[in-house]
Amino acid sequence: MDVVKVRQLVRYHAKEIGLGIVDQTRITTAASELFRNMFLYAEGGDVLMDAGIYNDHKAFIITCIDRGPGIEDIEMAMKDGYSTGDGMGYGLPGSKRLVDDFYIESTVNQGTTVRIMKWI
Amino acid sequence: MNIKNAKKRIDNIEDVLATVAAGDLEARIQSDIEDDFSGIEAAIDLLIDDLTDELKNRKKIQNELEEKLKKIQEQQKTIVQQQEDLMELSSPVTKVWDNILILPVIGTLDSQRTQIMMENLLHKIVETGCTISILDITGVPTVDTQVANHLLKTVSSARLLGAECIISGISPAIAQTIVHLGIDLSSIKTKATLQDAMIYAMKQKERVAPGHKSDLLYLDDEVE
Amino acid sequence: MLQEKRIPIIKIGDYLIVSIQVDMHDKLAIQLQSQILESIEKTGAKGVLIDISVLEMVDSFIGRMLSGMASMAAIMDAAVVIVGMQPAVAITLVELGLEMPGVDTALNMEKGIEMLNRRIRQINE
Repeated sequence: MDVVKVRQLVRYHAKEIGLGIVDQTRITTAASELFRNMFLYAEGGDVLMDAGIYNDHKAFIITCIDRGPGIEDIEMAMKDGYSTGDGMGYGLPGSKRLVDDFYIESTVNQGTTVRIMKWI
Repeated sequence: MNIKNAKKRIDNIEDVLATVAAGDLEARIQSDIEDDFSGIEAAIDLLIDDLTDELKNRKKIQNELEEKLKKIQEQQKTIVQQQEDLMELSSPVTKVWDNILILPVIGTLDSQRTQIMMENLLHKIVETGCTISILDITGVPTVDTQVANHLLKTVSSARLLGAECIISGISPAIAQTIVHLGIDLSSIKTKATLQDAMIYAMKQKERVAPGHKSDLLYLDDEVE
Repeated sequence: MLQEKRIPIIKIGDYLIVSIQVDMHDKLAIQLQSQILESIEKTGAKGVLIDISVLEMVDSFIGRMLSGMASMAAIMDAAVVIVGMQPAVAITLVELGLEMPGVDTALNMEKGIEMLNRRIRQINE
């Protein structure tokens, strides 16, 4: 599926689940940044969308899993303006600022998993 | 022992007990015959009377409880409604002049309220097409880092929409906090009082729409 | 498929008007950028109005494309005004860290045209 379609799907579910218009836009934009990373560095990946309870919050959860090259220095990748490829370096840190919970896990040569959440 | 119509009377007792068990508490044995068995019949009737009273009482208490619960729920609803109203009331965005919006903020600002205020203001800007808005925080005692950042965000977002947002009424206490917290407000227009902000906005308005110059601008220009 | 989704560029007087009506793919965004720059060259337009009022989302890539285009057009002596951004989009862009400092914005098309008129008058004076 192409990025635009998945993005629209994210917004659709965010709306269904009861997020306000600004939060819908935040999570869709954050997801869009992650999808771009998956396409740029890992030639795609899997996206899971879910609703659940996390730390006493009802949350809309998106998990992006790729089997790309992985990130060597996550701390560095989370800094504003840092990019190794064609990305503009706003992807990961920007995405983190737009959501309520951000989790990243990466193993070099195996892939990267990023999970973002927005409280409902 | 002297029991008349023993079989019939036992059947009657069984019937009555079954009826009561089924929920009809009006049923009684009410035997007219006086003999050794009458005592038992009368005792059963008494027991049914007691049971009826007990059940009625319980029903009454249950009703009262339900009513109380309903009342509490209604009060809860009112509280939530009032909180929402208060939120709305406490950030009224008003168009005070052609092209100028004012949002006077009164009371303590927390992160959530600032966020709602910001969204309200931005929507109002788009709705009215006003290009200048004044966020007056004269009535705000203190701000923290988060609130100051939200204020900054409001100004930046308004600019992206195509509108200018001025913050007025920054008290000495807030000015101190902001500088101590290391928040950089140099990129946004701040004015000491609402009046100063108004004067600035009026001048800006003329500059933005040079086709409709008013006498006010000429007066102002001469004074300066 | 990408070609089908070409975004129309309309010329009115000295200005180009671009109304983005579709959710943009990165490739489409890049394509639009060069399309607009080529149109500026071809028509000698002095200003470009980009209406994004129906865009429900602008991420860092599209945001960078828009501000990059403003700088590129400026070098070609054309002013770019972004028109009609939605409040939710503006808040999100600011939170992303993309405040687009060098880009002119307007609440609606009318105000955008006023802005360009003023800009051009200033240059001519």
